[in-house]
Amino acid sequence: MSQAIDPFAASVIQESLLAIGDEMFAALKKTAMSPIIYEVLDAGTAVTLANGDLAASGSGIPTFVGVLDKAVKRILEIQGGPAAIEPGDLFVANDPYYGGVTHLNDVVLALPVFAGDRLVAWTANIAHWNDVSGRARGSMSTEATEIWQEGLRLPAVRLFEKGEVLAPVMDIIKTNSRLPDFVEGDLWAGIAAARTGERALLALVDKYGVETFVTALDDYLDLGERTTRAGMADLPQGTFEIEERQDTGEIWRATIEIDPDSFTVDLTDNPDQSAGPYNTSRDGAVIAAQMILKSTTAPQTPMNAGSIRPLTVLTRPGSRFHAQEPAPHGFYFETRIRLHDLLCRCLAPHLPDRLPAGGFASICGTFISGRHPDTGRPFTMVEPEVGGWGATRDRDGTTAMFSNVHGETFNCPAEITEARYGLVVDRHSLNTEPGGNGTWRGGRGIVVDYGVRADGTSLTCGYSRAVEPPWGMEGGEPGTPNRVEVLRGKDGGHERYAMASEIPLNEGDTVRITTGQGGGYGPPASRAATAVAKDRRNGLGQE
Amino acid sequence: MSKVIRVATDVGGTFTDLVSFETDSETGEASVITAKSDTTPPDFEIGVLNVLEKGGVDPAAVDFLAHGTTVVINALTERKGVKVGLIATEGFRDTLEIARGNRPDFFNLHYVKPPPFVPRYLRRELPGRISYKGAEMRPLDLDPLPAIVADFKAEGVEAVAICFLHSYADPSHEQRTVEKLRELWPEVSVVSSHQITREWREYERTNTAVLSAYVQPTAERYLRRLNDGLTTKGFSRSPYIMQSNCGVDSLDAVARIPITMVESGPASGIWGAAELGKLIGEANVLALDIGGTTAKCSLIENGQVKIMTDYWIERDRKSAGYPIMVPVVDLVEIGNGGGSIAWVDDFGKLHVGPQSAGALPGPAAYGKGGTEATTTDANLWLGRINRDYFCGGEVEADMNAVETAIGAVAQKLAVDKDDAARGIVRIANNNMVNALKLVSLNRGFDPRDFTLVAFGGGGGMHAVALAAELGVAKVVIPANASVFSAWGMMMSDLRRDYFITRLADLAEGAAEGIEALFAETEDRARAQFATEGVDRSQVTFLRYGKFRYQNQEHTTEVPLTGPVTDANLAKIEADFHETYEREYTYRLDAPVEMVGIHLVAFAEVGKLTMTRHEEGASDPSPALKSRRQVDYALEGMHEAAIYDGTKLMPGMAFDGPAIVEDPGSTVVVNPLNKARIDGYGNIHIEIGG
Repeated sequence: MSQAIDPFAASVIQESLLAIGDEMFAALKKTAMSPIIYEVLDAGTAVTLANGDLAASGSGIPTFVGVLDKAVKRILEIQGGPAAIEPGDLFVANDPYYGGVTHLNDVVLALPVFAGDRLVAWTANIAHWNDVSGRARGSMSTEATEIWQEGLRLPAVRLFEKGEVLAPVMDIIKTNSRLPDFVEGDLWAGIAAARTGERALLALVDKYGVETFVTALDDYLDLGERTTRAGMADLPQGTFEIEERQDTGEIWRATIEIDPDSFTVDLTDNPDQSAGPYNTSRDGAVIAAQMILKSTTAPQTPMNAGSIRPLTVLTRPGSRFHAQEPAPHGFYFETRIRLHDLLCRCLAPHLPDRLPAGGFASICGTFISGRHPDTGRPFTMVEPEVGGWGATRDRDGTTAMFSNVHGETFNCPAEITEARYGLVVDRHSLNTEPGGNGTWRGGRGIVVDYGVRADGTSLTCGYSRAVEPPWGMEGGEPGTPNRVEVLRGKDGGHERYAMASEIPLNEGDTVRITTGQGGGYGPPASRAATAVAKDRRNGLGQE
Repeated sequence: MSKVIRVATDVGGTFTDLVSFETDSETGEASVITAKSDTTPPDFEIGVLNVLEKGGVDPAAVDFLAHGTTVVINALTERKGVKVGLIATEGFRDTLEIARGNRPDFFNLHYVKPPPFVPRYLRRELPGRISYKGAEMRPLDLDPLPAIVADFKAEGVEAVAICFLHSYADPSHEQRTVEKLRELWPEVSVVSSHQITREWREYERTNTAVLSAYVQPTAERYLRRLNDGLTTKGFSRSPYIMQSNCGVDSLDAVARIPITMVESGPASGIWGAAELGKLIGEANVLALDIGGTTAKCSLIENGQVKIMTDYWIERDRKSAGYPIMVPVVDLVEIGNGGGSIAWVDDFGKLHVGPQSAGALPGPAAYGKGGTEATTTDANLWLGRINRDYFCGGEVEADMNAVETAIGAVAQKLAVDKDDAARGIVRIANNNMVNALKLVSLNRGFDPRDFTLVAFGGGGGMHAVALAAELGVAKVVIPANASVFSAWGMMMSDLRRDYFITRLADLAEGAAEGIEALFAETEDRARAQFATEGVDRSQVTFLRYGKFRYQNQEHTTEVPLTGPVTDANLAKIEADFHETYEREYTYRLDAPVEMVGIHLVAFAEVGKLTMTRHEEGASDPSPALKSRRQVDYALEGMHEAAIYDGTKLMPGMAFDGPAIVEDPGSTVVVNPLNKARIDGYGNIHIEIGG
């Protein structure tokens, strides 16, 4: 602790930070216009220190924990340091080369919190906006070769000055979207969330005084570091290597070196950045590494900047995991989840108590756009899909859950999908195909049929593990791949997709989603007879 | 002289409580009897009859009996329901298992998803489809039903749940399936989703139907036996059963859909706070109920509790839990009560709860082998609870055990025992402050505009500290605070909440359809009440609309007055903008849509009228029993005046530092606080300072 303060006051402030993170998250989700924010919760909130170090984040998606600190640090850098930040400012950023981290659809809002004239913290949030212009509806195009084709770039600029919105910037943002009403609604939701956090932080400053507040935050980061280091003591020590073939045939590699004081992830030996939108910023790669460190050391405690102090990530500029301008980033999420899964696979054999066998591990991002057949209003459905998780050392894999980089993400009820988008959900069931056998079998994926009711509809999708199936462990069999099929109503045609944008759909067509079975653990022959009988009775699992 | 006897019985996990008010019809004077006896699982009705006997209440003389029970929540959490079979729409039998796919414990890659209450082989499907507009897309095919029934019988199924897509918009397929099922299998217990809720979201509705079926036979048997037991003892009326929506309902209605009792315990206390507020002229109340293992809080605005259908059991930071879509009072419950255990983590941080020492071994002070310090132990150590009058003098506080337990915490924190005890009280208080913020600040309400009404065994112990922290100006500790929930039950009306999903743009021409929906639902409510002998004229209604900006998901509930006409749509819209802005700091110039209605139907069932006594002399010295040193944690050590709560009379007033002790609870009055007893015996404390 940098300075002696009342330890119970520090605890009270720290517990309150968690509550504030959740409070901001609740405000964002309740007011957002887009289902991808309020239902899918493709969004995050955070409190950072004045210097941008993460203090606390709202519950939601783990990949968004650790985005906002990087954004605030970059905003500080671009603006010219803390001296250039004024009370009443609010900044907007979405560009991975200018504080944005992920892709242009994810918009960061960051609000500096001042106690008098002293910058004491930031509240920030990030949320996926449905459309920020670019060549394709929904802004994400598999055809993009440069970031300019993916939409409006907001390079960490002021959106508010002295507490007032800068109308021209707002006009630019609204004009550069195919869905300006959604953009405006989502933007104000983010502003409401940031203000909610600011109000709560200032109440703490008022109550305990600025010095105690600042010291409590510093102490909290130290606590995060101690928690991680205690967990590291139980990790296997040494150097662990992995290489894995991707759906594209490329080989990706990672090395993780663990010693008592440090956790180093080396990603330098990887392919050059892609000409297509399958790149991630270095920050994105760092987040995947942070998640592995957190999940293997202290998964059930809060994460902050201290939790990741022992981490070093090595990347090569110009590579897939450290893309340079003007490389596009639209489908970065499948690149990052593949990287996260690669790191899981690297450590899983050595940490069976923390990590399962391979799961379907894809966002399975499914985007259907068109006009509602009953109201004529434009809509964009954005759904990630649930799938089967890998088996663990002592039980079957989890069935029908969002990927390992998701968290409080919720699927959209069929009843709401039908009303909101005018699609017909003809089934929503477990995937019963064989796969993932083992002493413990993989969890089951799902099959969903979306029936299209209007011409002029289109499909964009981002699925990986569509060729290379989820991996089994210790003699367990692999799971099954994820895929999207389009069944043509008119001529009975049948197409299969994984990464695609703007596939035309017409009335009578069906989009069939199938997510994979997770990988098995242990030899299938050793599966208990009772478990086999139970599976048979339930119409699931191995024969 | 004629008397009216009103009785409330409350079956808790450990004890069954009784409160009886005997009111003289002429003078209005009431005498109060309270009693407690052991809860008697699995034959809970025996405990109820026991406590009536113990309190000397003759069931034959009782005019009004309200009953609250934890039988439903216990059957759920202890997994003691029956084997359920589910019938779903073709293509959707796995909805129950797919659930929503979320994972709150998000860094934990070994997370275990809550398993469904019905395994896949007992989940069956029927062809037939309704659209979101309530139109039939494909006819219902009941031909497969006999085979399903045969399988269910062979598997030992005791209850059947039915949930079809969009049955909230058109329940006819569910209704026909129920009819046919009753014909094929008259003895089975059956429930369909639309009988419980008319809102959308198929997973939530399916799970609600399943959990309702799961507890139905148990709960129904319990209610029948209770009724029979009371009748045998001469009770000639029909008992009223406490509901989760702060109302009571008839035994027959509850026996049909018993899942609505799931949160009835907390609801009665919160309703008590709302009624108390009306009695003493406090329309805006923060209600706080601190018991042995948990604290519950809720916000009451303008005398109205907020009822919602977004209720989940077993949901926390580690688990997704299970939804139950029934009307439940909007409350936040945290694992923080008198028996909550204080512990120090591996990094030297002090925490309180959510683990509780429970009834056995209980706090260290009980001397029943408890070795871990609890909030109660810390309060004893600091002199806030009187060690010589522990549990109303019924238990001798084992101060050696308290010292050892607090000492262990102090050692881990490297502080002295006094500091450790102060720390425990402060951390416990902060947990409760955060819960109170969730129901106030987080919903856009400023706690400074509210009065804190605190009850339960621990309410008075912590209330003034929480009020000071939140800027609340006034605290009220009700008379008989430890049995306040039972009092609340006696103050409840017959109440039913109807939530119906119906989409409509809030634009010219929309009013007719909305008004028709309200009118139709009001007719349904009156008809239901009529079958129970409640006359149309006795039924009153409250109307709410659930609105949002077009394309949003979450709705904001706005009260509606008078009939809905095109002329007053603008006013409704303006009310929505205002409510929305209060909660979320901004408003939009965007179209507004209605997502559904919420109708509340009330009928009074002869609830208690309280008599106000003249306030007498302000001198409290007749009630002063001693003085002692008390550690007020943040406010330091002070010599406090100790008052006997049973001797405090209307009009008496005193300043802090003070402590009020009565057999069921302790009220801590901080330095700078000013206390006064009102005409009903409630303690009003102005925070001051």
